[in-house]
Amino acid sequence: MSAHFDTIVIGGGHNGLVTAAYLAKGGQRVLVLEGRDVVGGAAATEEIFPGYRVDTGAHRIGGFSKRIVSDLGLAGRFELLPADPPTFAPVEEGPPLTLWADPVRTAEEIRTHSTADADAWPAFVKLVSDAAGFLESAWHATPPDITGTDVRDLWSSASLGHRLRRLGKRQMVEVMRILPMSMYELLEEWFESDVLRGTLAASAVQGLCQGPMGGGTVYLFLHHHVGAPSGVIRPTVRVRGGVGRLSEALATRCRELGAEVRTGAVVDRVVVEDGSARGVVLADGSEIRATRIASSLDPQTTLFGLLDPAYLDPAVARKVENIRYRGVTAKVHFALSGLPDFACRTGSGPHLEGAISIGPSLEYVERAYDAVKYGAVSAEPCLELSIPSLVDPDVAPEGRHLASVVMQYAPYALREGAWDEAARKALGDLVARTITRYAPNFESLIVDRMVLTPADLESRFGLTEGNVYHGEMTLDQLLFMRPIPGASRYRAPIEGLWLCGSGAHPGGGVTGVPGANAAREMLRGR
Amino acid sequence: MSAGRYDAIVVGGGHNGLVAAAYLARAGKRVIVFERRHVLGGAAVTEEIHPGFKYTVCSYVVSLLRPEIIRELELPRHGLEILPLESTFTPLPDDDYLVRWADHDQTRRELYRHSARDAEAYDEFGRLMYQLAVAVKPILAMIPPDPTSMSPKDLMGFLRLGKHFRGLGHEQFHALHKLMTMSSADYLDEWFETESLKATMSASGIIGTFLGPRSPGTAYVLLHHYMGEIDGAMRAWGFAKGGTGAVSESIASAAREHGAEIRTEAPVAQVVVKGGRAIGVALENGDEYEAPVVVSGLDPKLTFLKLVEERHLPSDLVRDIRRFRIRGSSGKVNLSLSELPDFTSLPGVGPLHQGAISVSPSFDYLERAYDEAKYGDFSSRPYMDCIIPSMIDPDMAPPGKHVMSIFVQYAPSDLEGGWDDRKREAFGDAVIDTLAEYAPNLPGAILHRQVLTPWDIERTMGLTGGNIFHGELSLQQLFCMRPAAGWADFTTPIRGYFQAGSGTHPGGGVTGASGRLAAMKILGGRL
Repeated sequence: MSAHFDTIVIGGGHNGLVTAAYLAKGGQRVLVLEGRDVVGGAAATEEIFPGYRVDTGAHRIGGFSKRIVSDLGLAGRFELLPADPPTFAPVEEGPPLTLWADPVRTAEEIRTHSTADADAWPAFVKLVSDAAGFLESAWHATPPDITGTDVRDLWSSASLGHRLRRLGKRQMVEVMRILPMSMYELLEEWFESDVLRGTLAASAVQGLCQGPMGGGTVYLFLHHHVGAPSGVIRPTVRVRGGVGRLSEALATRCRELGAEVRTGAVVDRVVVEDGSARGVVLADGSEIRATRIASSLDPQTTLFGLLDPAYLDPAVARKVENIRYRGVTAKVHFALSGLPDFACRTGSGPHLEGAISIGPSLEYVERAYDAVKYGAVSAEPCLELSIPSLVDPDVAPEGRHLASVVMQYAPYALREGAWDEAARKALGDLVARTITRYAPNFESLIVDRMVLTPADLESRFGLTEGNVYHGEMTLDQLLFMRPIPGASRYRAPIEGLWLCGSGAHPGGGVTGVPGANAAREMLRGR
Repeated sequence: MSAGRYDAIVVGGGHNGLVAAAYLARAGKRVIVFERRHVLGGAAVTEEIHPGFKYTVCSYVVSLLRPEIIRELELPRHGLEILPLESTFTPLPDDDYLVRWADHDQTRRELYRHSARDAEAYDEFGRLMYQLAVAVKPILAMIPPDPTSMSPKDLMGFLRLGKHFRGLGHEQFHALHKLMTMSSADYLDEWFETESLKATMSASGIIGTFLGPRSPGTAYVLLHHYMGEIDGAMRAWGFAKGGTGAVSESIASAAREHGAEIRTEAPVAQVVVKGGRAIGVALENGDEYEAPVVVSGLDPKLTFLKLVEERHLPSDLVRDIRRFRIRGSSGKVNLSLSELPDFTSLPGVGPLHQGAISVSPSFDYLERAYDEAKYGDFSSRPYMDCIIPSMIDPDMAPPGKHVMSIFVQYAPSDLEGGWDDRKREAFGDAVIDTLAEYAPNLPGAILHRQVLTPWDIERTMGLTGGNIFHGELSLQQLFCMRPAAGWADFTTPIRGYFQAGSGTHPGGGVTGASGRLAAMKILGGRL
């Protein structure tokens, strides 16, 4: 038995670190236990190729909360690199599409595809920005207990309602109307251009086991726009030196505030005594006690992996079991000897600086999804490439480039075969081949590559079923339903145990908000 | 020159129009109904297309007809008799089958054959769904408040609604939230493991939608169909003696008894509007009729964009109605048969022939059927829901012969290249070929076949896009959003002009609820 802490935070991912920093700032003695040798969880930068700094998991951090930056005094400790254009969409035939940070410039670009779409663009941008603004208010609130009578809940519901009404009558109804819709339905109302529809649709389904024709996909599209500067659609924001710099800055801040951050400390289980979480046992057998435990791991890993099942009420256990994960994304990192040259827009230029989205039509994206329903990998996948070395030369050796690709759809559970070396290689080849169709020199540039299948994302980052959000971001798993109904206010169904990761409201992405909200509730709960 | 003056004119003699007319007449109004076709009922008709054989042309089962309507309009006295459907039989490709019986315990026994776990779960599932149906029921019978309004009446409406939901308690509230937002496949996966059971149950969630069982939003329709109740017995599906047309006939008879006039073959060209008020209608033959109240039982597209001129409506509403989603996804095949289909998985004639026959062996099967429709084709191996009316009501066919009603999904209204005679027959062939895989004698038993594509349904019944629900039952098109925010209370921006079709709350199915609520609105809240 060793020293006693007020709070032990399990997992040094960005949310765990945010929770720890807030608690330490609130005067608590805090210990963060990270199993890997680097902090950051899925928001880590690793040297997987010699001389490269690779964001192995998350690489975009558009939604990282400005409120947290200011609360924790993080300003100046890492540098954000917003890309302009945020998105470039190559096509095999016809002109490609570039979405610029400036909506007026984007509208002009869209005009080469469709005049009607160009005319509709400003109003669409306004709708997305209004809806995302409303969601932002909801993000920072602890989900209200709808069936309860707590004054705080009524107040929080009322203030959200007020925030919505401020949009004006027409826009309020519009925001409510589009939230449950499918991206297909929304885009049918707005646009006719295939590449514009495909590019927007691809962003709405990222990490989701649904195609753009599935209901509720508009929500995820809007989720990606929370915190983005007004007018920017599909924002791409990186961290100079890699996303790991953000996590390192958080860890440093934790230490400055008096918290202890240990890496290489794998938690084996949570100690429960008299129905309350009282500490943890590490893989090496040592036990550390604390008044409360906060887990930033995903809910199933926390409640099934770290707890003796006997402590869970069977009805609660069933709810946890029913959380849908179903990871569908793979990540492929390429070390390149030069820049890809796209046939539809040759040479280097700003178009390579943001996200390069391959999803040339909404039907293409939907067809890519079809495969995963039957447990297979998309024959023609949706891809999103990022070449950070172009704007941030430090992440690759001189003259070399780094391309990180999010590939979708690859099912966690393959119906035929398993995620073995052959399947992993086939996936890497498929991605390289698909990019080469658009950028003919791509395959010849590859110096090295690393393929992370959904199974690899699970084993490497501890993401259950490889789901990057710690649980699907669908309407039935949001707000007071996240992670499970009845435990949506960061309290796990065990006294003294809290959930502060992306599995809690408001969910996935490098936002820090679940961690901050959890810390607020924990400090209030004292 | 006016051909007649009334208190109220109802456009469209579908079941909702007739319900509205019956209630208005019952309240002492002088009412006239104009129906375009020669038969009443709209999509709820029975027609003798092939001599001696009566087809329930479109709608074929009764389950959602509101019991208060049956009671208040005394429909049994007007000839309505609902015969129970005892079972749903799902033949399976491996020569097995699954039957769900109206009798809960019998189903449980059958499920044990497939999975003991599912048999156990079926009890709890049934209980929960029943409770949820009870919880939702009052909402079906209320006029939706307006979310854009700050009037005390509308705010009170939402407060009452809030109170209702809070009163449900955690478990039911969360279960309801899941039903409203999940896919039927995901919802059922939480409960059951038998693929054919889940697929067959999920199929009721996709009927009339342009979604597959794995699409979020389909679980809600599952509940919609669970809400069926006959004489208070929820979940029971039934067949109206004489076919669904008999439902319409009984309502028409009630309306007539209360003094309503009903004219068939009297198509309305437009609603006459003067000074922002509806003052009557003009028929296609030029006759004009006057009334201070005009009620449209047609779908929202026709109600707002065809019967009246756009200039009478605010541009916001025109936009909302233009983008109101009303894609048709289903077709219908009606057959005259010389003998009953003989299923290889359960040979011979048995009680299964008196129930529904569902071709829905697995989620994959349904999803593949959906995939084809997504990209503009009809399903080559479609989902089908069949009944054999002559086995329930012998009067539907000559002695020894049979009629079979086959609901088919998916048949997209926006078929690539459009529908034509050749594609209609190819679609019909796909239906017969698929059924022949389970009942090989069927093709040889066909005496006559009627195939209805979504275009045929639109042309004949006047349903825009052939959509059987007057608009898709997606979350953003329900309750106070149906058909458009601000106009879900059965009124329109034109004074004296009202909506009563399925495109209003609660939408879809032979429920009569929309017609009844519209009448209630017109009569100032009291029937």
